[in-house]
Amino acid sequence: MEYIYHVAVLFCLYAILATSFNLLVGFAGLFALSHAALYAIGAYTTAILTTTLGLPFPVPLIASILFAALLSIVIAVPALRVSGHYLVIVSLALQVIVLQVIVNWKSLTGGTDGISGVPTYSFGSFALDTPARFLIAAMLGLAACYWVAWRLTRSPFGRALRAMRENESAAQSVGLDILYMKVSVFAISAGLAAVAGSLFARYFSYVGADSFSINETIYILAMVILGGTGNLRGAVLGAAILVVLPELLKFLPMPVDIADKMRLIIYGCVLMAVLVFRPQGLLPELRGKKAMFVQTDAERDEADTAKLLDGETGATSETVLEGRNLCKRFGGITAISDFSIALRSHRITGLIGPNGAGKTTAFNLLTGFLKPTDGQIDLRGKSILGKKPHHLVASGVARSFQDLRLFTNMTVIENVVVALPNQAGHRISNLFLKPLTVRAQERENTALAMQILRFVELDGKAHETAADLSYAEEKLLVVARLLATGAEVLLFDEPMSGLDQTTLREILPVLRRLAERGKAICIIEHNLDVITGICDEVFFLDEGRTMAVGSPAELMSDPELAERYFK
Amino acid sequence: MRKLIAAAIAATAVAFGGSAAAQNAPKDPDKYRAGAILAMSGKADWYGKVMSRAIQLAVDEINEAGGIEGIPLEVIIEDHKSGIAKEGVSAMNRLINIYDVKAVLTSFSPPTLAIAPIADEKGILLLNGGGTSAALVGATNMMFHNRSLASDLGLAAVQRAKKEGLGDMAQLVWKNDAGDSVVAAAAPYWEKEGHKVVATEFVELGASNIDTQVAKIRASRPDWVGLWLFSPESGLGIRKLREFGVDVPLIGIEYTGDVKEIAGKYAEGYEYASDYFIPSDDYPWSKRFADAYEARFGEKAEFYAANYYENVYVLAEAIRRARAKGGDYWDGRKLAEAIRENPTFDSVYGGSMTYQDNGVAKKRVAIFKVENGEGKFVEYVTLN
Amino acid sequence: MDLFLQLLANGLINGSHYALLGLGFGLIFSTTRIVHFAYGPIVTFAAYTAWLISGSMGLPLIVGIAGAVLVAALLGTGSYLTLYRALERNGAPPLIPLIASLGLTIVLENLVGVLFGTGVRTLDVDSSVHFLGPVFFTSIHVWQVVSFVVIAVALGAFLRRTRYGRAILAMTDDPEMARVIGIDTLKVSIIVFALGSAISAVPAVMVLLKDGASTHMGFAAVFMGFVAVIVGGVGSLRGAIAGGYLVGLVESLGLWQIPTEWQGSISFVVLFLMIMLRPQGLFSMARK
Repeated sequence: MEYIYHVAVLFCLYAILATSFNLLVGFAGLFALSHAALYAIGAYTTAILTTTLGLPFPVPLIASILFAALLSIVIAVPALRVSGHYLVIVSLALQVIVLQVIVNWKSLTGGTDGISGVPTYSFGSFALDTPARFLIAAMLGLAACYWVAWRLTRSPFGRALRAMRENESAAQSVGLDILYMKVSVFAISAGLAAVAGSLFARYFSYVGADSFSINETIYILAMVILGGTGNLRGAVLGAAILVVLPELLKFLPMPVDIADKMRLIIYGCVLMAVLVFRPQGLLPELRGKKAMFVQTDAERDEADTAKLLDGETGATSETVLEGRNLCKRFGGITAISDFSIALRSHRITGLIGPNGAGKTTAFNLLTGFLKPTDGQIDLRGKSILGKKPHHLVASGVARSFQDLRLFTNMTVIENVVVALPNQAGHRISNLFLKPLTVRAQERENTALAMQILRFVELDGKAHETAADLSYAEEKLLVVARLLATGAEVLLFDEPMSGLDQTTLREILPVLRRLAERGKAICIIEHNLDVITGICDEVFFLDEGRTMAVGSPAELMSDPELAERYFK
Repeated sequence: MRKLIAAAIAATAVAFGGSAAAQNAPKDPDKYRAGAILAMSGKADWYGKVMSRAIQLAVDEINEAGGIEGIPLEVIIEDHKSGIAKEGVSAMNRLINIYDVKAVLTSFSPPTLAIAPIADEKGILLLNGGGTSAALVGATNMMFHNRSLASDLGLAAVQRAKKEGLGDMAQLVWKNDAGDSVVAAAAPYWEKEGHKVVATEFVELGASNIDTQVAKIRASRPDWVGLWLFSPESGLGIRKLREFGVDVPLIGIEYTGDVKEIAGKYAEGYEYASDYFIPSDDYPWSKRFADAYEARFGEKAEFYAANYYENVYVLAEAIRRARAKGGDYWDGRKLAEAIRENPTFDSVYGGSMTYQDNGVAKKRVAIFKVENGEGKFVEYVTLN
Repeated sequence: MDLFLQLLANGLINGSHYALLGLGFGLIFSTTRIVHFAYGPIVTFAAYTAWLISGSMGLPLIVGIAGAVLVAALLGTGSYLTLYRALERNGAPPLIPLIASLGLTIVLENLVGVLFGTGVRTLDVDSSVHFLGPVFFTSIHVWQVVSFVVIAVALGAFLRRTRYGRAILAMTDDPEMARVIGIDTLKVSIIVFALGSAISAVPAVMVLLKDGASTHMGFAAVFMGFVAVIVGGVGSLRGAIAGGYLVGLVESLGLWQIPTEWQGSISFVVLFLMIMLRPQGLFSMARK
């Protein structure tokens, strides 16, 4: 039955589109709704190159992929600046603009007439000119695209993408390169969509702008969401359902004049019903042990863990990170001024002061999340001014957030593994060129992450979803994640707040032990018991100014401070 | 020996005669199944409604009269969702594979262009009665059009303007293949006549707001405005131009029930070039069709209805002619061949029509003028 | 210059139309954060209802408008209670309602076609042409502007002066906090869906009077409403108004020198630049 083969070809095209869109929407969390425009670029590039230049396979396919990938970088630019609903609208706008350019560029694209007579694939005398034969090409295309997507998502890179989706600033804070990840996932997603576009041109032999409207983007999005975002098989299942369902509905007998509208009504109702009853999509994202792609039982000796947990300096205390005369103004408001601090190995430094004193701003300046208006920051005597947070993490400065910012929809161990430094698998090229290295390293990293979890006593919950942890466990996970970065300077933003005494007694020694092993630690804290208990030096800030510096005991005995702050 | 020769002759005669007889005996199907791919949903579903009704009417008439030489005709209606190529191809595949149709009535450029190669490959006769843009002509030699080319209608309109001695032209154009092909024909003609084209403004299909276009046309101070729009935007164009005080002559290429509905009183005096479908007593068939359509659907028959109604009859006649030749005649290629061999068919417009070599039927294009809401025949146009 | 003035007037008139659509959509979106795409076909339903009452049945226009407002409010409330509420209860992630809303859009849009038939519907009212110097406009244009002003003022008063109005504003600011301080968020959600949809019926009737209603008119309505809200800044109704006017003016004045074949993209180019340069919108509630 040619008709069934035809539906199968359509399924292959949409499965490619849904898979590639899933990379963007499901894994990277980038709701850039301009997928049909990239699909169109793929189709038009192939159509133009085959009809006007007569280029042979596979040149048009490769050109389609490259051109769409290039164009997608234009779309990635807004995604670097805006997110959420804004990205939805900006990308919809781009979709409309790209299509309008295609329609108005008559000399190249045939304008509203489109391009007819695109030749199908033929190898010698064997032409893929029937749906049955074309299905071979379509299935090969789907298999290749699915394999690429599978390689990407079941890898450290895929895990990093999900971390970015869960929380972008937290992803930066564990050393992930957001720019690289966004641009590359856009380019790959676009390239895969272009494969579908190129197949479209070959199969239908006609390319016209009507086939790539906003409705098409929405149709593909519906496939991804229906099937389950963040699950590769889900998107394919979604494509299968939304391609086959309308065809099945065609067999419902109905009065001719309203038949096709009634079918669409039923289609819409089915879509809504599925979403109401399975709001997470038909196939949920992989969790628990299934989220991992290597075995976790591999052991690792204590020495390596010790190396990770140790600072690189010797036993003596020396200045590692130094900020001098730092100043930050937002418009007319001065958040912090003339702030100087030196963080030393083996030492715990505390920042205290009322809300709005500028403590978190100080953290943001020291870790590259904000650029100081004035002042100097040195790491081991070298200026790190203007460096991006992920660079600083790589150089050894990492921080946590007051509001935790865990990767809540990932497992506990994933939260830790993703933060481990120097992962070959964070580079896409390595996934395809050095798969064995990536795998071996991943095995080591998994074991290392288990060690770190053991250190904070969370190893029993390694495969639970972070969202299911208790508050105290979440705090411990924050510590574990920060440790995993391997940084020698660790800045904790209120690691103790909201914890009861028992838990405090668990965490305090952890910090103490870290300092003993040579880390330079800085904490923001309100709890005076904690401050006096572990800090070597304390900075008291108020309204952006440093009011006092000294040992906890010195500050506590300052009558003025006692009056204003300690009561 | 003579016996032997006689036997040989007889054997040869039987052989030849037998095979000749086999060739002549038509292989009849139980039912003639054809398809129609129309805009049954989406933003241009008005066309689907009109066309599918006319097809139903024609099919029922033919079957009530005993079918085509005793064999019933069935037309399966499919949807291309108002011009989506992919939907057209899916529909085409269904029609061929599930219903085993040999002929398809098609509409709208993108789906028609996309199914043309399939028609070529599988030998399916295509009959198109909707807007005909230049891109469709020659897409496949399996296709025949019973509607004038949009560009011919445009030419007829500018010729009318020339006859009326009008000067500078502004154009309000549908942003699609049909609109573009009218501009391509009309604008050079008018410039060759020594006039200027002072404004060319585009309207999206399904546009609701064309105030800007109209304001620009008004500011260009044209002597007349060419409305290269189809239903229902032509109505919107007429209404807005008049509301904004553009009181120069308006000449367009369409006037349908929807256009009349939107333009309302502003349509008064609007002239348009169109296929000449006016039911009249001179042409009993046209009258019979128009009356039957109105009785059954409660609306006046549009010429789009007439075209698809006519296409069903063209199909029936082509089947008859192919059947007369006998053999395995129920085949798209045989049907197309039958049309090309004798390209003249009765027309519901009156008289007959003849397909030209490019597959487009030469129909009489006439100028109409709207008076009291109805299009009144003014004159025939001979295109030069 | 005359053309410029005319386009300016057109821009202001269309701006009023978009601003009104933006108000209705923004009220729903800013309060519930649901991208209610089915706002579009509800606009269509309202227009067809007005046509049915005042055109087909011949009752006075004011009855038609009342009917349209009622039907829109019912459909809006109904879609919240049957669809979005069910999704909320089942813990759907943020963008699921958007897709479900698209499903609802498909259903409602085709239902209009099934119930009312295809083809354009118009309603003839006595509309006269006025001119102010070189600028032309019709009485329906005047109604568009007036209806917007009246509704915007009334809505402003409602939001600031009444208990429910203040509850809506509180929820727009911070839904979590609203719940904490004891606001019945379910009731507020129902009210904004009813109110936002009711408001949309007015521009719907205006389109019916001005250009005629068609089954697909809703898409432009919801899109322009959405764009107005985003350009203006989510969470700010003043922003939605400003966004509506900005889009109306740009769409109109932008084509002063640019060929009209680009009409479909011009507002999107502005939108694009707007979001890139000022992602928080014209008026932003985002507080840091």
